[in-house]
Amino acid sequence: MKSLRWKETLQQLFFVANGSGFIVVFCVCFAAMVTILEASFHMKMVIQNDSMVPGFAALLILKELGAVVTALLLTSRVGAGIAAEVGLMKVTEQIDALRMLGIEPVRYLVLPRLVACVIGAVLLTLIANMVCLICAMLVSDLMLGYSPAMFLSSMRIFVKFQDLLLAAVKGAFFGAVIPLVACHFGFRCRPGAEGVGSATTQSVVVASILIIVLDFVLSYTFSYL
Amino acid sequence: MIEYRGLVKRFGDRTVLKGLNLRISEGEIVFVLGTSGTGKSVLLKNTVGLLRPDEGEIWIDGREVSRLSEEEYLGVRRICGMVFQHPALFDSLSVYENVAFGLRRHDRLPEELIRQKVAEALALVHLPGVEERRPAQLSYGMQKRVSLARTLALEPKILLFDEPTTALDPITTTAVNNLIQELSRRLRTTSIVVSHDMICALGIADRIVVLDQGNIVAQGTPREIRGSEVPLVQDFLAEVPA
Repeated sequence: MKSLRWKETLQQLFFVANGSGFIVVFCVCFAAMVTILEASFHMKMVIQNDSMVPGFAALLILKELGAVVTALLLTSRVGAGIAAEVGLMKVTEQIDALRMLGIEPVRYLVLPRLVACVIGAVLLTLIANMVCLICAMLVSDLMLGYSPAMFLSSMRIFVKFQDLLLAAVKGAFFGAVIPLVACHFGFRCRPGAEGVGSATTQSVVVASILIIVLDFVLSYTFSYL
Repeated sequence: MIEYRGLVKRFGDRTVLKGLNLRISEGEIVFVLGTSGTGKSVLLKNTVGLLRPDEGEIWIDGREVSRLSEEEYLGVRRICGMVFQHPALFDSLSVYENVAFGLRRHDRLPEELIRQKVAEALALVHLPGVEERRPAQLSYGMQKRVSLARTLALEPKILLFDEPTTALDPITTTAVNNLIQELSRRLRTTSIVVSHDMICALGIADRIVVLDQGNIVAQGTPREIRGSEVPLVQDFLAEVPA
């Protein structure tokens, strides 16, 4: 912990959590609304009854939506930013300058971003889940006719404490993937504007794919093992 | 002081340095000239371990350094200062913090002494009073000089310059070239300057080395180089006013 640059880590945490907070909350609100409305529509169509929708939607939000949407938004905002920043540092020889000045660039650049992203992603995932649940509750009250009390009681049947834990664990894993992939491509950035652009694009694509694959692995592990 | 023996560096199937042999004495100012892609910058980066040779040896102060670990190389980098092609200043730090960066890392000096050394280094490059500015607030030429100050603050015995005047206007180019000569003489450093600028090399260098396709095709004092009949040297000399 001694080698961690706390000031830089806190700056990065501010960039990750505070800078992304509004975007994440805004997007997950709509994702939650779509989820509950679609679930209701299809349940009514197939089994002519949507009474399980509040609980089902709450489970889906906690297990999948909150963590994955947050992580994908962080990938496009934070991951792209880190890849471009580190890539530009590589291209303009700042990373070589760090080595010349006796600094190990991987530890110096990656560690604060990794710690900040893990903490930031867990916090944002939990906030996103709360916001999603509130949104879903409002929609089910205003549009589907289930009062908040009914929503909560249905949710209590479907959702367990482990589901919230899973969301936090997913947030931590996704939060680690984003800076690691971004720094990997940043450190391998080719010279020129095209190189920085390419590193940024590759970073977003690979991190998004890894998050989706990791989501499956974690969900499977928690559900079946 | 610095000796390269049979230095070979490959990138994939492309061999950039092809068994280069060169010896540089203490206090000498050596200009390495050549067209783009002939391995000039690669030579400098091999010297300080930013790249590692595939074959051959690099001797600095009587010690073979090319096989040292990254940790062991810190000692070599402490005595070698490198000024990069780009200013390579850290954008998020002020000029003061940039120049103090290496002092804090390498020497762990008290802040008062660091402040004094930063002021001295900035004075050496004729840039007093810019300590609190950010790199983005300086012109490109000023950024290059701050980069030089950051290197000089560590009082290196060996100075490596990678195209120090690229992208500078003629007046700043002359100022930087004069600075290289003045600092090398005043601080008695050994200097290797990678450049395309034959006019400057003829005016400043103790010795000029011309690289082509990873090999040395000519070397000598400015007077000897002026008399060289090597075609590449002739091409470079064609730019020099009679």
